[in-house]
Amino acid sequence: MNKPSSISTKLVLVPASSKGRNSIKEGKRDRAKAILSSVFVYLFLSAAALLCLFPFYYMIAASFMSYEEVSTGSFFFSFATMGENFINNYTETWTRLQFLSHVGTTLLVAVSTTVLQLLTTILASFAFAKLHFKGRDFLFMLVLASMMIPGEMLAITNYSTFSSLDLISSHQTYFQAILTMVLPLISSAFYIFLLRQTFRQIPNELYLAARIDGKSDWQYLWKVLVPLAMPTLITITILSFISSWNSYVWPSISVSNDSYNVISVIIRGNALQFAGPSGAMITNTAWQMTSSVLTVLPILLLFIAFRKYIMTGTGRAGIKG
Amino acid sequence: MEIKLVGLTKTFPGNPKKHIPETTAVDHLDFTVKDGELLGLLGPSGCGKSTTLYMLSGLKEPTSGQIFFGDREVTFLPPEKRGIGLVFQNYALYPHMTVYKNIEFPLTSLKVEENEKDFAFLKESALQRVLLQAKEVHILLAKAKKDGKSPLDCAEDLANAFSISLSLAKEIVPLFEEDLEDFLCKASSLLEESKKKQAEEKEALRQKGIELSEEGELLREGKTRSIRRNLSKDEIDALIREAAKLVQITEFLERKPSELSGGQQQRVAIARALVKKPKVLLLDEPLSNLDARLRIQTREEIRRIQQETGITTVFVTHDQEEAMSICDEILVMNQGKMVQLAAPQEIYRNPNSLFAAKFLGNPPINVFHGRIQDGAVYLGEEKILACKEKLPDQEVYVAIRPEGFLMGKEAKPKDKVLTLQCTQVLTQGRDLCLYCSHPSMEGDRLKLVVDSDLDATPGPISFALRRNKVFLFGKEDQKRILF
Amino acid sequence: MDEERNNWKAWLYLSPVLLLMALFTFYPILNTVVVSFLKDYDSTKGTSSGFSFFNYGYVLGIAANNDVGITNHDFFSWNSPSAFSNTMFITFVTVPISVLLALLIALAIHSIRPLKKFFQTVFFMPYVTNVIAIGMVFGVLFGNHGVVNALFHLDTPWLDPSSSTWGSCMFVLCLYIIWTALPYKILIFLSGLQGIDQQYYDAARVDGASKMKTNLKITVPLLSPQILYITVTSFITAFKEYSSVVGLIGRSYSSDPNTHDLYTIVYYIMDAMNGNMGASNKVAQFASAAAVILLLVVLIFTLLELQISKKRVVY
Repeated sequence: MNKPSSISTKLVLVPASSKGRNSIKEGKRDRAKAILSSVFVYLFLSAAALLCLFPFYYMIAASFMSYEEVSTGSFFFSFATMGENFINNYTETWTRLQFLSHVGTTLLVAVSTTVLQLLTTILASFAFAKLHFKGRDFLFMLVLASMMIPGEMLAITNYSTFSSLDLISSHQTYFQAILTMVLPLISSAFYIFLLRQTFRQIPNELYLAARIDGKSDWQYLWKVLVPLAMPTLITITILSFISSWNSYVWPSISVSNDSYNVISVIIRGNALQFAGPSGAMITNTAWQMTSSVLTVLPILLLFIAFRKYIMTGTGRAGIKG
Repeated sequence: MEIKLVGLTKTFPGNPKKHIPETTAVDHLDFTVKDGELLGLLGPSGCGKSTTLYMLSGLKEPTSGQIFFGDREVTFLPPEKRGIGLVFQNYALYPHMTVYKNIEFPLTSLKVEENEKDFAFLKESALQRVLLQAKEVHILLAKAKKDGKSPLDCAEDLANAFSISLSLAKEIVPLFEEDLEDFLCKASSLLEESKKKQAEEKEALRQKGIELSEEGELLREGKTRSIRRNLSKDEIDALIREAAKLVQITEFLERKPSELSGGQQQRVAIARALVKKPKVLLLDEPLSNLDARLRIQTREEIRRIQQETGITTVFVTHDQEEAMSICDEILVMNQGKMVQLAAPQEIYRNPNSLFAAKFLGNPPINVFHGRIQDGAVYLGEEKILACKEKLPDQEVYVAIRPEGFLMGKEAKPKDKVLTLQCTQVLTQGRDLCLYCSHPSMEGDRLKLVVDSDLDATPGPISFALRRNKVFLFGKEDQKRILF
Repeated sequence: MDEERNNWKAWLYLSPVLLLMALFTFYPILNTVVVSFLKDYDSTKGTSSGFSFFNYGYVLGIAANNDVGITNHDFFSWNSPSAFSNTMFITFVTVPISVLLALLIALAIHSIRPLKKFFQTVFFMPYVTNVIAIGMVFGVLFGNHGVVNALFHLDTPWLDPSSSTWGSCMFVLCLYIIWTALPYKILIFLSGLQGIDQQYYDAARVDGASKMKTNLKITVPLLSPQILYITVTSFITAFKEYSSVVGLIGRSYSSDPNTHDLYTIVYYIMDAMNGNMGASNKVAQFASAAAVILLLVVLIFTLLELQISKKRVVY
């Protein structure tokens, strides 16, 4: 068969964006375009960042304002009265909320949840990642599927479970309150998933080597796996701490005595109200903003100190999810 | 298209805070690649060959110097405007697109520059071209039908075989008749019909004062008019099929890259680079991800494609054998500088420096520490060769190709000037490979290749030397010394 | 590894988690489903008057409550904002907007070099903050005489319990939810973007694709696993929206029977649990029925998304 002249060989193709043949001019124009577009990108990001940071700014600014300033929508605090307002806001909020005692409770709940969560997660992840037993995959799928269940659905039954154990009652003690807040939050399917992934990436040869060295499974877990999975464990620790610090729904329904409750529940309570001229109770918004600062700031500082772990750890989880 | 580099330099800024010094990856490179040639950029990793390629492509900007494609300076032109095709080391095929879509992708940002044409007229021309080969069409379609192919597959076969558009092929397929005579009859009547249509079209245009040339170009007052237009669907399809045919991947067009072998992916990458009809083809270590057998097959394939298209090609590799086997010219690079630019055999026969001598050839060249004394070359106390040129006494490197040693009956006893301690003899079919040592050698052993008919046993062996396989290099500058 | 020998040991390692999960996760699911079908269930005594669909009928506003004798349209109603319609509205407004916005921001951050780390940190900050605390800040910002009204010279009673409209409340709530939802999405997209080989971008440049085209044809398809993950999890989270409402307006809001502007499904469940619905004590079964409906909604949407994604997630 003689080769037919193809219809396409004659086509002269030129880039759609190319205008002329003066390549030096064109190169310069393209570079100008690139600079313009990166200016646009920076403007967009800066605007978005400002919007994103604005609530933080305002929360802090308002803690330097008087109630009158906040309730007339002032954007800036006045320098003349900031010191006085600041002291007033913080002392009032501190004492009215009994801040120290609630932060203590929150800290206790957060630390015990985190520690227990870490412990159980490590054990379970080890079994799911490295041990063989019947029904492992099915059980793991079951654990994963539980992530889809709305936590509020569980709260309904958990409330009656704890009531029947006499842990939730009108005579609930401080210890019972803590126990009630911590217990249902210990097991976390998400962290098990995260840590199992990390454990699985550690080569099995290490296990065999440890076995030859006469190490038991238990020693292998704590001496080899745990140190190697440290970055993930730190991520889990911080995330777990932050989320238990910020937890609201379960504490709000399970603690009968408000003086035993965590900070998230307390700041939304009535402690920051005062009697207005007509006798109705009015929330002092300057105090309210101050309480927000007091609640958010410790976590924000923690985040800034550990942002590398939090961000890479969370990002990694998403990639594999 | 000729490629010319003038003083091309790329420096990467260092970071004094982190104690990273400034590095010069490419240092004042000047060379020219002739139109239609295949040039190999050869050097060890980190010698700046890939950086050079990326500057040619426009993905990296040079710090100083100029690049010309033909007479056009492209130094700061972005890659898409240079008219280049680039094949990446890992192919960089888009994993979410089929092979077809991968090859199509570059076409979607191109336009056609051409004289105004009448497409209805051209389509009839293409139809006529196929109908004139009605017999071949019948054979092809009959076979396809017998294989139980769907009409669409038949059309595709037809489009591929006759380089026509798929839409035209789809119109031809239903015309098929089992009986050859019937089909030929039908074809000839269609041919007449088509010619009539063309004549009518021509007449209609003439009424409007437009003439039509044989190539289907519109002539307004006797002149063609150049326009820019988008590629039509048919043209895109035809270009893709043409490129796929060139690299022989027509049957994989609907697959995803992950369903292809490494060699097939490589072909797709080349097709994607070639489909836009680049003036220059750039290949970045194209064979490094293939296994040994495929590598040889693919490099021949690249050579074939390059010669078929006549496209100026630059090819980066660290494998001297690869470069020697397919390049018209090799540019040996070291530490950002050009060492030597010549035809492969020329570099092998006449290396201009110790680096070039060491880099080309397998087994590698044997290097000794020697000296020139009283017009002769000495290795230790052995006088191995006499100089023809007048040279001052000096320390030199003496480099001898593995095949430069003659032993046994190959040489007269009086010519045997060098005695090596042979430690091991390996039989490699056609050749014998000897591992030897010598007090003045560089490195830990010498590797010699001699004819397998010769009788060699471990122990001291005396050799004569082939003069053209012995090179001298200066101790300081490592440049060639002719002797 | 030796399967037999590991068998009982594995269960030992798993026992703490399994015990806790059985008690606080799996048992509650089953129990909730059972209770949702029990008529006149009394959670303190554990008694009921038998199996019935009445709870669902009541929650969906079809059957009248025995005690009060009126039908309840808090959860579902055809003609006024209800927990169900609000939740759907919140979901279908905030999820697409926040996913798109997060994608844009992530692409922008990914394309720059100086200040990249800074922007990454700034945009991730809302992730770690307290939903209640910042909700209060939004509440004050959108107060009757708040900063937003002052800045834009408006007089809109955004969240005022007596004079706000459904639209104004919902606007603020959606804004707040988007604000809280962005950081996680941006982070996931960014780490997805980092995983895309630079060679694809180089190839696209050589192929002459514009930035826009590269993003649409290369980046977004290559990011599709992350987009799927984010979409599925965002839907699940949005269906459960509750804390943000509490943060924004406080719990007292819903007790006014006439203002259900920001009522959500979970809000309804919480109210039913806490006996805020008139029939004290006896409403755990309504909460359960609502929770089962929520679970079904979540399941249906998740399966739907996975089904769609089979065609769309490309590799």
